[in-house]
Amino acid sequence: MRYRIGFQTLVRREIVRFLSVFSQTLFPPLVSSFLFIFIFGYSLGAQIDRVGGVPYLEFLIPGLVMMTVIESSYTNTSSSLFISRWANNIEELLVTPLSYVEMVLAILIGGLVRSFVIAAGVYGVSLFFVRFPVEHWLLVFYFYLFVSLTFSSVGMIVALFAEEFEHLSIMTTFIITPLIYFGGVFNSVDMLPGFLRQWIPYNPIFYMINGMRYGMLGTSDVPPAQAMVVVFLLFLSLFTTTVLLFKAGFKLRK
Amino acid sequence: MTPAIAISNLTKYYRKFKAIDALSLEVAPGEFFGFLGPNGAGKTTTIAAMTGLANFQAGQIRVFGHDVQKDYRQARALIGLVPQEFNFDPFLSAEQILTFEGGYFGMTRGEAKERARELLEFFNLWPKRDEGYKRLSGGMKRRLLIARAMVHRPQVLILDEPTAGVDVELRYQLWDFLRQLNGRGTTIFLTTHYIEEAERLCGRVGVIHEGKIVALDTTEALIRKMGRTHVELYLTAVMQALPRELDAAGATLEDGGRRIHFEDKNGGLAEVLRVLYRNGLEIEKLDTHQPTLEDVFLKLTGKKIEVRE
Repeated sequence: MRYRIGFQTLVRREIVRFLSVFSQTLFPPLVSSFLFIFIFGYSLGAQIDRVGGVPYLEFLIPGLVMMTVIESSYTNTSSSLFISRWANNIEELLVTPLSYVEMVLAILIGGLVRSFVIAAGVYGVSLFFVRFPVEHWLLVFYFYLFVSLTFSSVGMIVALFAEEFEHLSIMTTFIITPLIYFGGVFNSVDMLPGFLRQWIPYNPIFYMINGMRYGMLGTSDVPPAQAMVVVFLLFLSLFTTTVLLFKAGFKLRK
Repeated sequence: MTPAIAISNLTKYYRKFKAIDALSLEVAPGEFFGFLGPNGAGKTTTIAAMTGLANFQAGQIRVFGHDVQKDYRQARALIGLVPQEFNFDPFLSAEQILTFEGGYFGMTRGEAKERARELLEFFNLWPKRDEGYKRLSGGMKRRLLIARAMVHRPQVLILDEPTAGVDVELRYQLWDFLRQLNGRGTTIFLTTHYIEEAERLCGRVGVIHEGKIVALDTTEALIRKMGRTHVELYLTAVMQALPRELDAAGATLEDGGRRIHFEDKNGGLAEVLRVLYRNGLEIEKLDTHQPTLEDVFLKLTGKKIEVRE
C-alpha cells in the first residue's frame, strides 16, 4: 500500500511536470500536426492518387499519430530525467523507498500519458478533415502502448548518457526524425526508390507506423503480427536496459 | 539494542582514489551524533553511501538493522536527508515539494497535505507555499530543505552541513528545533563546519580525515583526552630565568620575562603556583584557555576547520 502510493505520487509528479509547461509540451506538436494534415493531406494530398488502397489523407493520419506518439514519448522522458539530473532533484527521488523498477515505470507512464493526450489531440484535429471507421481499436491501443513505452525508455536512456541539453536534440535530429520520415509516415514503401526500399525493413519505426496504420485502416506494408513482435521485443529490451541502468545507478549515483 | 546506524568497513573508491577507507562506526537510537572532518575528508561521501546516492565497493551499512543495499526500501523509509546543496524539484511549489515528498514515502495525499501545512507553518514558510523554490531566499530554501526531510517523520535524520551560510538567528532556531526533535527520540547524524554547533548539540563526535575515522568518542571525553588547558601567568616583576621545576614541566618564559606559559596537565597549575610562591614571585593576572573541539580537530587533522558560507 505504502509503496503503491509512492509510485502513484511519482506518476502524478510526471504529469504535473508536463502540464505545468503545457505551452511547450502540448501545443507545439498539435500545431505542427495540424499543419501537416492541412498542407500535406488536405491540400497536396488531393493531387495524389489512393495509397495502399485508401485516400492519401486517410493514409497520412495513422503515420502522424504514430509520429507524435514517438516524439512526445521521447521528449517527455528525456527532458524530465535530464532536467532532474541537471537540477540534482533526481537525488530527492533516489533517497525515497521507491524501487528502481517503480521509478522507471512511473517516469515511463508520464511519457505514456503525454503521448496519449497529444495523439488523441492529433486524431481529434484530423476529424475536421477526414472521418473513417477505425478497423482494430485493440491493435491501435497495442501499438500506441508499446511504441510509447519503447520511446519513453529511449528518452530515459539518452537522458542518462547526455551531458548537455543539446545531446537530447541530437538524438531527435539525427536519428529519430530521419527514421520516422523513412518509416512511412508520408508514403508507402512502394513509393520509395529501389535502393532505399531494401533498407526499410531494418528501420524499427517502419513496423510501428505500419502497425498503427493496420490498426486504424486495415492496410499495411508489413504483416501486423510481425510488426507486433518487433515492437514488443524492442520495448522489452529497451525497458530492461533502462531498469538495469537505474539499478546500477549509471550517472545517477556517485 | 539494534543500532540506528551501523557502518562496518565501508570502502569507497572514485576511480583509483580511495575516498573512504574501511570506515566503521555505530550510532545508537536517539543519539545526536556529530561527524566532523576537513573539506574532502569523506563526510558527504559517507552520507551518500548511507542514503543510496553513492555506490560503494566494500563494507556494509545498516539502518535499524536494514542493509542499505539489500533492503534499501526499508532502510530509506527510515531516513530523512537534508543535503548540503539545494536539490528541489524546479516544477513544484514549496507546498507541492513537501506533499510530493510525503507521497514518495507512502503518505496519503490528505496526510501529506496536513503534514506539509504543519511544517510550512513551523518554519514560517506558509505565506510562500505557492512559490517555486527559486523565488525563496537562501534562509527559506534551507528551512524548506529541512522541512522536506521531516515530512515522513523519519527515525534517522541525516543533515549535511545544514546551517552553512545561514544567519545566526536562524542557526539558533534550527539548533532548538534539532534539540527538540532529538528529545522526542529522533536519531540525528550531523555533519558541520561549525565546531560550536557540534559542541553544543552532539553527545558524541566522530572525526574523519582522509577517509578514515581518527577519533570517535563523546564530545567531552574527546576534549578531555586530547585537549590541554593553556595557562598564562602575568608576573608583577621581570623574571630572568625559569625555576628548574617549571622548566622541567614544559613551561616557557615569554614577553621578556613578564609572562609564563604552560599547558595544564592533571592539576599542574597548583604545583606551578607553589613553585612561584616558594621563589617569592607574585602574579598580577592569570589567563586560561579552555580546550575546545576545534583544538582537538586541529590536533587530529592538522587543519583548522574551514567555514563555508
